[in-house]
Amino acid sequence: MSEHPDTNSATQPPTDGDKLTGLLAKLDEAIQLLDTAREFAKPGKLGRVLDTARRVMMQPGGCAAVEARAEALESAGVFVGSDWATPQYLVPSLTTYALKSADPNSVVIESLSELRLLAVAMGDYQHPLISAEQAHHYLTQVMALNLWLLFGAPSEAERETQGRLAQLPRLLFQHLAERIGYEHIVDQLIDEIWRILRQRPLQVEPVKQMITQIAICQANPAIDLGASGQGADRLVSSLFGPTQACREDPGIDIYRQRLESMDQAALQYEASGFARAMHDTGLVSPYHSVLMRHLLEHSDHLLAEALGLSSTGRDCLMCYRELVHALIRGGVYPATPQAIYGLALLLERGILYQPPVAPAMWRQLGLTLSEWSQQRLKMAHGDAVSPRARLLEGVLCMLGLPLGVGQGNNPTCQSARALSMWAYNDPDYLLQMVAWAARDDEIIMHFEGQPISSRESLSGVATELPMDLDAVSLLVVPHLDRIYAEMGRRCIGRDGDPHRWVNPEFHGWWSGRGFRINVEVATGQLADLEDFLRHFYAAYHPYYNGNQPLIHPQPAGIAVTDSAARFIGWHAITLLRVNLDPQDVMRVYFYNPNNDSGQDWGDGVKVSTAGQGERFGEASLPFEQLASRLYIFHFDPLERGELATITQQELDRVIGHVHRSWGAGRVPATDLQASPGIDGA
Amino acid sequence: MTKDPNKGYIALLGWSLSAVEAAENFDRRYVVVAPDWAEEYCEKHDIPYLSWNFERLNDRSMEIAETLQEMGVDVAIPLYEETVEWAGAINSVLLDNPRLYGQSLLLRDKALMKRRAQLGGIRVGIFEEAHDKEDVVRFLKRVNQTLLKLDGDPNDPIHLKAFDKAGCLGHRVIRTPDEVDSIPDEEFPVLMESHLDGWEFAVEAWIHNGKIVFLNISEYVTLGYSVFVPASPELERYRPQITAQIEKLIKTFDIEFGLIHPEYFVTSDGEMYFGEVAYRPPGFKVFELLERVYGFNAYQASMLVFDPKASTEEVKAFFPREVEDANGYAGCFGVYPRRRVVSRLEIPEEVEDHPYFESHELTPPMEETVTKRTAFGTHWGLIYFKGEDPHQLRDLLKHQEGLDFYV
Repeated sequence: MSEHPDTNSATQPPTDGDKLTGLLAKLDEAIQLLDTAREFAKPGKLGRVLDTARRVMMQPGGCAAVEARAEALESAGVFVGSDWATPQYLVPSLTTYALKSADPNSVVIESLSELRLLAVAMGDYQHPLISAEQAHHYLTQVMALNLWLLFGAPSEAERETQGRLAQLPRLLFQHLAERIGYEHIVDQLIDEIWRILRQRPLQVEPVKQMITQIAICQANPAIDLGASGQGADRLVSSLFGPTQACREDPGIDIYRQRLESMDQAALQYEASGFARAMHDTGLVSPYHSVLMRHLLEHSDHLLAEALGLSSTGRDCLMCYRELVHALIRGGVYPATPQAIYGLALLLERGILYQPPVAPAMWRQLGLTLSEWSQQRLKMAHGDAVSPRARLLEGVLCMLGLPLGVGQGNNPTCQSARALSMWAYNDPDYLLQMVAWAARDDEIIMHFEGQPISSRESLSGVATELPMDLDAVSLLVVPHLDRIYAEMGRRCIGRDGDPHRWVNPEFHGWWSGRGFRINVEVATGQLADLEDFLRHFYAAYHPYYNGNQPLIHPQPAGIAVTDSAARFIGWHAITLLRVNLDPQDVMRVYFYNPNNDSGQDWGDGVKVSTAGQGERFGEASLPFEQLASRLYIFHFDPLERGELATITQQELDRVIGHVHRSWGAGRVPATDLQASPGIDGA
Repeated sequence: MTKDPNKGYIALLGWSLSAVEAAENFDRRYVVVAPDWAEEYCEKHDIPYLSWNFERLNDRSMEIAETLQEMGVDVAIPLYEETVEWAGAINSVLLDNPRLYGQSLLLRDKALMKRRAQLGGIRVGIFEEAHDKEDVVRFLKRVNQTLLKLDGDPNDPIHLKAFDKAGCLGHRVIRTPDEVDSIPDEEFPVLMESHLDGWEFAVEAWIHNGKIVFLNISEYVTLGYSVFVPASPELERYRPQITAQIEKLIKTFDIEFGLIHPEYFVTSDGEMYFGEVAYRPPGFKVFELLERVYGFNAYQASMLVFDPKASTEEVKAFFPREVEDANGYAGCFGVYPRRRVVSRLEIPEEVEDHPYFESHELTPPMEETVTKRTAFGTHWGLIYFKGEDPHQLRDLLKHQEGLDFYV
């Protein structure tokens, strides 16, 4: 066989472009095979798609080519049966693990998902489950959490576990950054962090991670951020060096030594520096905890200064001096700095003056946590401090920032809303719930006179125990979720929407027993829309209800839509205030248990979280726009007045919004008959 | 796909996802006969299924044949070596032809098979059964005496194979009497064969009404490692002689229908030696390779020629023209880890970057230590290639099967 020349050397080495073209033909073929395969045969065809996609993405221009095929890849079934099939629930922080994996398929499928979301974010791919804005938002977070991939070369460890594969995430991120805008990525990220922080979430860990990433990039001389990243200073310093004496991030021990030798004036300087940073950002530095514990031995005046208190808060501190000292001793550690912010806002709210709250806080301080509660807290938040201190931090934060409660990536909006409402409106009831859950592993609530135990109710809305929650939610939500689901089960067979009965029993006596819904439960069609809206105006709009401000927070249900105004799902919110905003527009201020309230609901409806008179954690919309997404509200049946005589124009504007968004396809047939069909004529 | 009730109803013996997929997409009704571990999967995916554990044939063997008969099944197709005699037994009932069972036993036992071939006037190498190690030593000596070797000359090797296992399972090469000691006693009895220096190849032949309807020659690059289809022009030159050999085989074994997969050597003087023949799909995914170049599904081809209701016209229309209709050459090789300790899978750049490289089915290593290979062992997965030039493909396979994929 030696008469045949070695044909390997006879062929020209293929150019990169040729190579990509050849690989793309193979990729298209593999996608085609997967697409046409029967469902049971798909797993067998997937390997070839992933492997070919990996080789494509390793080529120059490969990521762009895969992005262009994102829709074909997804519809062929690349993500079927995996977490990536539901992009709306993907958790940005998990991408880091997938991209560092030694298993090529994990790296590839994560990368494919990112490129798919890029196509969605760029508007090239209309995804049924996630909007362009959500995708964009997700990608920004992913980029933020993985900035090292954008600016750093593979580490020795990555090379060891991944080999050449380590290049893939880098090529991917370069492509993402190029598409989204290279030099703006860090600035966008900073804007994003500020936007989230202005909502003062209880859970700041993801934000802290992003800021840490920026700080690492800034400190690395090998990374050139150009002109971007200037706005990060306040964020980085608030975590790592808010004051003169810890500017260079010296470490806890050295800072403690420095405090020992400070005089009154120097301490005062430190205290006000920390307070400013904390109230600016909502983030607290571990050094702040060191100062707080140090000041316990000095003066209450300096404590108040370090908490950044107004005269209200200072009064409260003086009245409950011993309790506050105990709370600082028991809950403020370098590992739990956010407790300081929670404490400051709790004092400002003056809720300690409500008779049961202070004794309930004393109970909290001495609470014995069940084995189960300790386990959960350690699992979710680590064991840098005792579970009791971790929970105390959580309690202080929730009472200080009732509107900062978030549901995590769990379908438990009802439970998050209840916790927030209690922290806002009925703090000692919240403390009671925490005690029952944390100490007794059981909560009993009553539904129409019948007790419901969280221990006996088998399943909740969430199928798995949620972990991505603040310390209080972590312990209480599993109980509330089961009780809520059980209340729902007890309504099976009743005519109408179960929220009518469940909401008041679940949330508290102040939830109105009167109930209106504009959707027919059996058919999902709109029903009585005009009456519903007139009634809502009559109950909530100050111009039509005798200028009565909203007294108690009220549960309400909204139809959430994406930025294309397509219906996504039903969601629970709390109506908090209805006021004129700084521009004299009547606005509804509300609480959304979703982790980020700033959302674009399409058709011009953009939920604002800052700049329109919102308090921390509040979301707001002009009254008309909120009314257009509302489908359930409660009212006091005894105060039911006349239907509001709002003008037909205003009503039509609201109804227009409904019909152009979630109401499209829900308009009952009887309404359509009003316009005679030409076909039938 | 819509099933045609006028066409045959086929039982697939053994579990093969590729075969099920092919059957799903074919116009004949089918049922999978497989052990009970497949039941849940079949139920979940709506795959027609009948539970059966293929152990040795026993008194209950009639039961499966009768069940299939009651269901209206026309014929059973064996997918694995272990189900060949089951198919023979079942088909002798379904087709009312008791001879089929005897035929299947011949095709299952390598020693019987060789004798039958010899009786039919087919050339085979020297072979013998061995019941213990002494038999092996004696055979090794005798073979090398025959070859006029003197004491001290390096011996020609002999091959040991299990009687009734597929392909390379249990296949050993023995060169010196010392190596005989490494054979575990439980492997006996075995079949011993002299080594033939030559060009080894395999054939996949679909037979309908006693005639060859499609004959493929699979060219081995390295036995047990690599193969490609269709064969290079140098081997295809022998097609007329090979066809004549297969016709002889069909006559000798009295095969009316089905797929046979024999192996041969061509020695340097152009003489064909019969190695063995199997009555089932070949290993090394040759079916997949055929589909890559010819576009027809080889499982469907088998279902067609097994189906007693298939017409000659339908069969004729199904198959493409041999070699002429092939769109390039497709090949693959099996990867065996070459190091004793491996930590990860890394496809060498020269493999991945080659324009002929198509795909691989390797998975990351489960354990760091590689079990020492006895006999030929099993590979860890195949690497697939396709290209225009058979010689480039052949050289590529030859070269790349020696690379490290696990490092």
